[in-house]
Amino acid sequence: MNRMGMIDRGVTYLFLTVLGLLLAAPFVYMISMALSSDATSAQLTFTFIPREFEFGNFVRVFTSRLNFGRFLWNSLILVFFAVIGQVFVSSLVAYAFARLRAPGKEVIFILLLSTLMIPAEVTLIPQFVLFSKLGWVNTLLPIIVPNFFGGAYNIFLLRQFITRIPVELDEAAQIDGLNYFGIYARIIVPLIFPALVAVAIFTFVWNWGAFFGPLIYINDVEKMPLALGVQILSATNSAGQIPPWNLVMVGALILTVPMILVYFFGQRFMDQFSLTGGSVGVK
Amino acid sequence: MTRKKKEALWFYLLVLPWLFGFVTLTLGAMIYSFALSLTNWDLFTTPGFVGFDNYVRLFTKDKIFWKAVYNTLFYASISVVAGMLFSLCIGYFLNRPVRGSSLYRTLYYIPATVPAVASALLFKWLLAPDVGLINRFLALFGIDGPAWLLDPAWVKPALILMSLWTVGASITLLMAGMKSIPTEFYEAAELDGASPPAQYYRITLPLLTPVIFFNLIIGMIGALQIFTQIYIMTGNGGASSMGGPNNASMMIVPYLFNNGFRFYKMGYASAIAWILFY
Repeated sequence: MNRMGMIDRGVTYLFLTVLGLLLAAPFVYMISMALSSDATSAQLTFTFIPREFEFGNFVRVFTSRLNFGRFLWNSLILVFFAVIGQVFVSSLVAYAFARLRAPGKEVIFILLLSTLMIPAEVTLIPQFVLFSKLGWVNTLLPIIVPNFFGGAYNIFLLRQFITRIPVELDEAAQIDGLNYFGIYARIIVPLIFPALVAVAIFTFVWNWGAFFGPLIYINDVEKMPLALGVQILSATNSAGQIPPWNLVMVGALILTVPMILVYFFGQRFMDQFSLTGGSVGVK
Repeated sequence: MTRKKKEALWFYLLVLPWLFGFVTLTLGAMIYSFALSLTNWDLFTTPGFVGFDNYVRLFTKDKIFWKAVYNTLFYASISVVAGMLFSLCIGYFLNRPVRGSSLYRTLYYIPATVPAVASALLFKWLLAPDVGLINRFLALFGIDGPAWLLDPAWVKPALILMSLWTVGASITLLMAGMKSIPTEFYEAAELDGASPPAQYYRITLPLLTPVIFFNLIIGMIGALQIFTQIYIMTGNGGASSMGGPNNASMMIVPYLFNNGFRFYKMGYASAIAWILFY
């Protein structure tokens, strides 16, 4: 494995580099479009290598009528509460499944696993009807609140993590007078902290770019999260109309950058989780 | 209260949020959805009971629905299998003793982090007939590129091509699987004179089968639910023309969206959802 011939080595590096360039090209183009002037954008004469550097575009989207600040704020609220709900509730439920004994527990656990197989489409329309009856249309609630009921997949994975912690720790804590919630808060949470971070990251990634939910529930531009706001900016009513593509790409970049940051800083948490997730999935 | 009872009480207390969500948003919703599928409800007037009419119409009269089913299966199977072959091919080279392998991996992964809305908007541009980057690139080699998203014959290949951009996600999983293969296997194979491609084909791939299988399933589940790309790329950025030229890129979820949230045919849309479930 350690020795490679000249040709072999050349082919390998050539392949990897050409592939890297091909995969990076759309990204370079995105940046180049985002830095283009309005004139270039209106005439659709974008270049692959940036020729103009209109960094003002990045300021303009916040100060102009577009109000990206509003979109960004809505996105942050959405993601913040989704993460809080998902991490807190999923881990509590997972703790109950991993540690507490109760009649009917097995049946409920099987129910939990079976929900993983139900496609979201089946419940989509009734949920829409329910949330409209509650008067939640045009708010972020239909997207945030379900997170406070926990996610089946997260519960399942966290349960796997908790079962690996020695039960003796719980018993010792119990003798010391902690109740079940105390055990969860003082013993379990610190020990599964990396897994909780991973759940937070997954929830962030899932909700940050969320499009379908906001699309059906939110009508007012004021209340839209970033992904929907950027899409609305690119939509046209007539065939001849040209959207401000440079500003659309600024939006796309603002949407993308946090995802890349999360990947870089969260990689070690996710690696550990996806590995166990992978082996859980194939057993 | 006995300790046992107390423990059971705590269990149900802690599980309550999930149980509540399950009963209302999943179980209740499913029953309600089935009831709706037997009506012609339009969200505003009183629903009328129509029996299995919605299902009969879907099965016998609705050509667009079957086109959407065909398109979705076509897109999902080809994009997932092509993506897997592509990432296995990349995995071979990344698994060689190359310098900067983690740098390459990061580079390949970045596209997979781009949210679907952002990549759909970008690729709508890249795939533009005359000024798009992809056709300008093809023109360098004297190839006259197709109109991609505007051409019924090319719109699905265009979407599949786009899906390959995010191949980094499955590469990451494959590489993690490769790391867990003991190096002794390769050392023994090398003593026996096996070339690197032969080692990859005879040792790595068979041992990776579970990871590959897992990847394929996850990929299929994701690809079958394609919506954002269709909504943004094959239309004018609104629901009105979604589904592309001659419905060549109409897929299941977009079709459900059209029926439910554009035409407000809640009963019909519920019937579509239930057929998919079976």
